[in-house]
Amino acid sequence: MRKADIIVALGLMLVGFIVLADTIRLGFGWGMSGPEAGFFPFYMGLGIVICTFFIVLRGLKTYKKEGAGKRLVAEGGLTQILWVLIPAAGMVLLTELIGLHFATVLYLGFYMGVVGKMHWFKVILISLLIPSATYIVFDKLFLIPLPEGLWGKYLIPF
Amino acid sequence: MMGLSAAIQPYNLMIAVIGLVLGIIVGVLPGLGGANGCAILIPITFAMPPTAAVILLACVYWGALYGGSICSILFNIPGEPWAVAVTFDGYPMAKSGRAGKALVLSSLSHGVGAVIGVFLLTFFAPIIAEFALKFGPPETAAVMILTFSAMTRLGGKSALKSLVAIFLGFILAAVGMDIVSGKLRMTYGTVPLMGGFSFIVAVIGLFGIGEMFLTVEEGLKMEGIKAKVRLKDVWDALREMVRHRKILMMGSLIGCWLGIQPGGATPASFMAYGFAKGTAADKDEFGKGASSGIIAPEAAGHGAGTSATLPMITLGIPGSPTMAVIMGGLMIWGLQPGPMLFKEHADFVWGLIGSIWVANFIGLFLVLAFAPIFAAILRIKFSILMPVIIYVCAIGAYAVNNRMIDIYYMLIFGIVGFLFKKLDYPIAPMVLALVLGNLAESAVRQALIMGRGNPMIFFRPPIALPLMLLALFFFFLPTFSKWKKSLTAKKAGVST
Repeated sequence: MRKADIIVALGLMLVGFIVLADTIRLGFGWGMSGPEAGFFPFYMGLGIVICTFFIVLRGLKTYKKEGAGKRLVAEGGLTQILWVLIPAAGMVLLTELIGLHFATVLYLGFYMGVVGKMHWFKVILISLLIPSATYIVFDKLFLIPLPEGLWGKYLIPF
Repeated sequence: MMGLSAAIQPYNLMIAVIGLVLGIIVGVLPGLGGANGCAILIPITFAMPPTAAVILLACVYWGALYGGSICSILFNIPGEPWAVAVTFDGYPMAKSGRAGKALVLSSLSHGVGAVIGVFLLTFFAPIIAEFALKFGPPETAAVMILTFSAMTRLGGKSALKSLVAIFLGFILAAVGMDIVSGKLRMTYGTVPLMGGFSFIVAVIGLFGIGEMFLTVEEGLKMEGIKAKVRLKDVWDALREMVRHRKILMMGSLIGCWLGIQPGGATPASFMAYGFAKGTAADKDEFGKGASSGIIAPEAAGHGAGTSATLPMITLGIPGSPTMAVIMGGLMIWGLQPGPMLFKEHADFVWGLIGSIWVANFIGLFLVLAFAPIFAAILRIKFSILMPVIIYVCAIGAYAVNNRMIDIYYMLIFGIVGFLFKKLDYPIAPMVLALVLGNLAESAVRQALIMGRGNPMIFFRPPIALPLMLLALFFFFLPTFSKWKKSLTAKKAGVST
């Protein structure tokens, strides 16, 4: 937990420095018409760098005194999280190819069938019903086109 | 009156019911909440007239508040931080076979808190809006600083981490085109960053996906209590409420007062619970299912939720993450939140206030009549719920700008949200900063131009000065009280 605390704070500090670099390029002082474009983000970036510096300092202090402390992710929790994250990321990547609706059919089917170990009939029924319902509501009723991907539009004939 | 008549038009009424049902569902579901529900629905509201759109979102908000109590009473899972105080007595009461009574008590107290809140809103909103019309850029900046300083300290989290969250929110808001000079900022030559970050995507990722990771990490166990609301429960609950009317009133007032400040709902519900416990004759009952232990935090939580509308429509400062999302919606619909809203779009504001009245009456009825059905949602298998929720979140994130990159951002924000929750970085101030980013930045820049670069402009009397002093007071209050405590502790140590 404490290690992660320090690492995340350092990461945020890096974000602060990246922001500072760009705002210095833009100029953060007083320009022709008042404060320049980089003015506001500059002080925000500076604020992040200063605050994270103290967070790291405090983190190191308690780390030295009390050791690493609890784990960031509970025992066995990480696999659970990855079981959520990886299929979700897979769905997003598939969306690029075959569109959100078809990617969802596969995603729901995979998750319910493989992770949930549900009966195949239920799996097929639900994973077809939900994307069709959203297709009707979004693409047809509210006219909000959802991503089709590269080949999605050839897959839906109507 | 005008607002009420707008709110009970059949179309708006239908929208209100749909919003409430959706709201209760997102309030009950793990991972989704009011803020998320509203964020996902914003793209749909583009096609609606603004009054109907705001009624839909506001009703999702009220519905989520009701749904959150169902969750905390029947499942001992608080949907939102303020609902933690409700679980103390709500769950034990439900466990001892009085689930129906607990539900009625909670929703009735909800209703009372909201009605008192909306009373205050109806009377004070025009006055505050009139006052706020005198605000120039320095005053607006001072109000924002006050907001964030209250938020830094009220959250009860580390002040440094709250500040980091706020700064990060402002930076994310600044990515893309600079509104004043037209220069591209912090895009580092990449095209996707030119569009900037949408707060809706951030809300969906931080609250929705991040929450989902937390839920699976902890190993979700849903052991709910079956509940059925009978007429006798309603009667019982009504009698209890009359008996505890003082606590009910106090709870609502505490809620309304603290709710005006951003992030005030959580301290309000705890404070009200503490008050109820402190004044009760039978303190042993608390924690085992005392009626007043449900009444007080519920009334405070909902009172705070209602009065959070006040700063949003009068000053353009949202009081809670959900309000921030609704305010972002206003800006997308082309309305400028703040005092001018009252002048230029009075029908809209009164429609919103009227819908609070209507929504609470319908919400009460819905919860009492259909609580078992809503509770049944939580018994759906997690392997169905989880992918469906992620799917819905992805639709919401994509539909904001029809950009594929937003779905990737959503996943990244999800991981950030998980890490932030784990490491105690507060998320609400970050969302607020992201929503207010452009307004705050232009207020600061215009004020500095007015003062020719002299920062003392933020302390100009008569309005900005007291606001800034209050902000400083809020910011340093906990430090002072800590310092005082350690001082008295030292003294005590010396004398003994």
